[in-house]
Amino acid sequence: MMRRTKILLAKVGLDGHDRGVKVVAQALKSAGMEVVYLGIHQTSEAIVETAVQEDVDVVGLSSLAGGHLVYAQQVLSLLRERGADRVPVVLGGTFPFEDIPRLEAMGIRAVFPPGTLATELVGKIEELARSAQQESFGNPE
Amino acid sequence: MSAVRRHDEGDDLLRAYFERLGSPTTWSGLATKSFYGSDDLRNLDYRRDLGDPGDFPYARGVHADMYRGRLWTRREVCGFGSARDTNQRLRFQIAQGVSGLSVINDNNGSLTIDADHPMAVAEGGVQGVSLSSLRDMEDLFEEIPIDKVSVAFDLSGLDSILWMAIYAAMAEKRGLELAALRGTVQNDTLHFQFCGYGNSCPLELGLKSSVDIIEFCTRRMPLWYTGNANLYDMRENGIDAPQEIAFGLSLASAYVEKAIERGLNVDEFAPRRAFYCSCHVDFFEEVAKLRAARRMWAHLMRERFGAKDPRSWQFRFGVHTAGVSLYPHQPLNNAIRVAYEAMVAVLAGAQSIHCCSYDEPIGLPTETSQTLALRTQQILAYETGAARVADPLGGSWYVESLTNQIEEQALKIMGEIEQKGGMVAAIKSGWVLQEIESAALRRQTEIETGEKIVVGVNAFRAEREASTPGGIHESPPGQGEVLAAAVRELRRSRDNRRVAEALRHLHAQALGGERVNLIPPLIEAARSYATTGEMMGTVRVAYGQPYDPMGVLAPPRF
Repeated sequence: MMRRTKILLAKVGLDGHDRGVKVVAQALKSAGMEVVYLGIHQTSEAIVETAVQEDVDVVGLSSLAGGHLVYAQQVLSLLRERGADRVPVVLGGTFPFEDIPRLEAMGIRAVFPPGTLATELVGKIEELARSAQQESFGNPE
Repeated sequence: MSAVRRHDEGDDLLRAYFERLGSPTTWSGLATKSFYGSDDLRNLDYRRDLGDPGDFPYARGVHADMYRGRLWTRREVCGFGSARDTNQRLRFQIAQGVSGLSVINDNNGSLTIDADHPMAVAEGGVQGVSLSSLRDMEDLFEEIPIDKVSVAFDLSGLDSILWMAIYAAMAEKRGLELAALRGTVQNDTLHFQFCGYGNSCPLELGLKSSVDIIEFCTRRMPLWYTGNANLYDMRENGIDAPQEIAFGLSLASAYVEKAIERGLNVDEFAPRRAFYCSCHVDFFEEVAKLRAARRMWAHLMRERFGAKDPRSWQFRFGVHTAGVSLYPHQPLNNAIRVAYEAMVAVLAGAQSIHCCSYDEPIGLPTETSQTLALRTQQILAYETGAARVADPLGGSWYVESLTNQIEEQALKIMGEIEQKGGMVAAIKSGWVLQEIESAALRRQTEIETGEKIVVGVNAFRAEREASTPGGIHESPPGQGEVLAAAVRELRRSRDNRRVAEALRHLHAQALGGERVNLIPPLIEAARSYATTGEMMGTVRVAYGQPYDPMGVLAPPRF
């Protein structure tokens, strides 16, 4: 049986814009997910450590200040080092659409720019969580 | 009907033809009628409630001749990469016809850590200009005649006092009189408590530093605006128009109280206080909001603080068009939103305007996008005639009614804040943050449900663009390392004995208590090329705070 989706949300780096990620946390909670919100000024190391400890299904990064490429790469590499790269990482916030192919190439599974509706967000995260759970527990059949 | 409308639905055309106005309420949820008439203003007394422009209570503007006396200051916020990079852009802006400058720092600067801090490297010059010492300030303003141009520092935390001290040190090094310098520093340390950078700016130390700036400028830099209550950032966090002015006027009052406590007379400093407001997309509501704010501030200053100088009663404001109203989809739509928002600012009588660039929700502006933003202001100033007459919407039954409605709501909120013991107490209790967060949720819900329509977001959507018209701003790879290396080089090459001496003196002064103004010793330290991190770290330690706001660095030995 599938468990309730558990997602870690964090702002990585020194960006202080946290309104969006808090609204997202609320939307995901309302949709029945378990949300671990780490808050602002998180290091990539702290995020990955928590993701592993808390055994989350998805990691969501929020970036509105231009650090998205650097920090996404750091988090993905650290997850790989910890053997936790089955955990899908998604990114929300402000970034040029030009960067989306680069983010996807490094392994970011979904991006959510400003204006994303909660229904789209919830749908995509549930889908990623389900496929990650199937990967780690085997096919439930 | 589905909340998310698409243009490919079956009988779209008929539905579009017969479509009615969606929501009759304003973006702030104020009810409106289908028309307004003289009955709506039966109780209006022109002299008492409005006054001519330039007369109490200033609902119609702070100057009788308005833009015939002086156009608004046309600025475009600027900051990226190294001080030299930003200097190039500032000089480009001057060549394009800005009438004032506005500089913003990177995240490291906001947190008062240096570019070579272990957590700083990925952030150096990314969200604003990197500035760690007087050397960077010299580069930033190289060949710019700072005695002739008004400069706004778009910074709010403990970086405000650092920049003031370093700027003063640079000006004195150039042989300029501080009294000749014209500009503004945001200096709203309180708002950092709920705008994402709280840990870098402890509330009490922040307030003390804010008052130091007010006091120092009152004595030494009389042309300088000593602080803007930052209504803009709060509004960007999701609150509505009445909340914006209620929170904003309450914030501003907190500084007035503190400055009076310091021993200043209200009429000494209040004429050089100002406000930094948002102009959102709801046209008439925003005009009404700013007119209401002017009237409320005039009463507040005269009646509550006993100010006698008419300049103390005047609500002077700069406008930043609402970044939060802009979206990355169909980015050129943003240029239209910005133009309307800037027109609001002009019709409402703004003293200074920054127009967002259409790529605001995408990244820092490019030369192209920023020039369009400036051209938007210039078209408004020179072509549209919007600036011709003061308060051109005054006397409109609708606008006057809306002005009254917003004032009434804002006064109610301010009453609530007073009951909580004032703005500082309301911030400390977490109430302000709660209000902001629930407002942000409300706003998102309105868009989710389609109660409010945003073109390109929950209606008239198109395929996601692969690229931004005009290109994007990109930080060169390795920028943070270069900036960090430059600070390390500075630490090696400067006279470190002089630095240590200046920091020891600063520390001793900071131990002297609340009333000892820290700007003079900070200027001394800046002159020795002490870094921002060293200077604020020293002050922080004297105030019982950790040396490094990020908790990584240990204090150096003095």
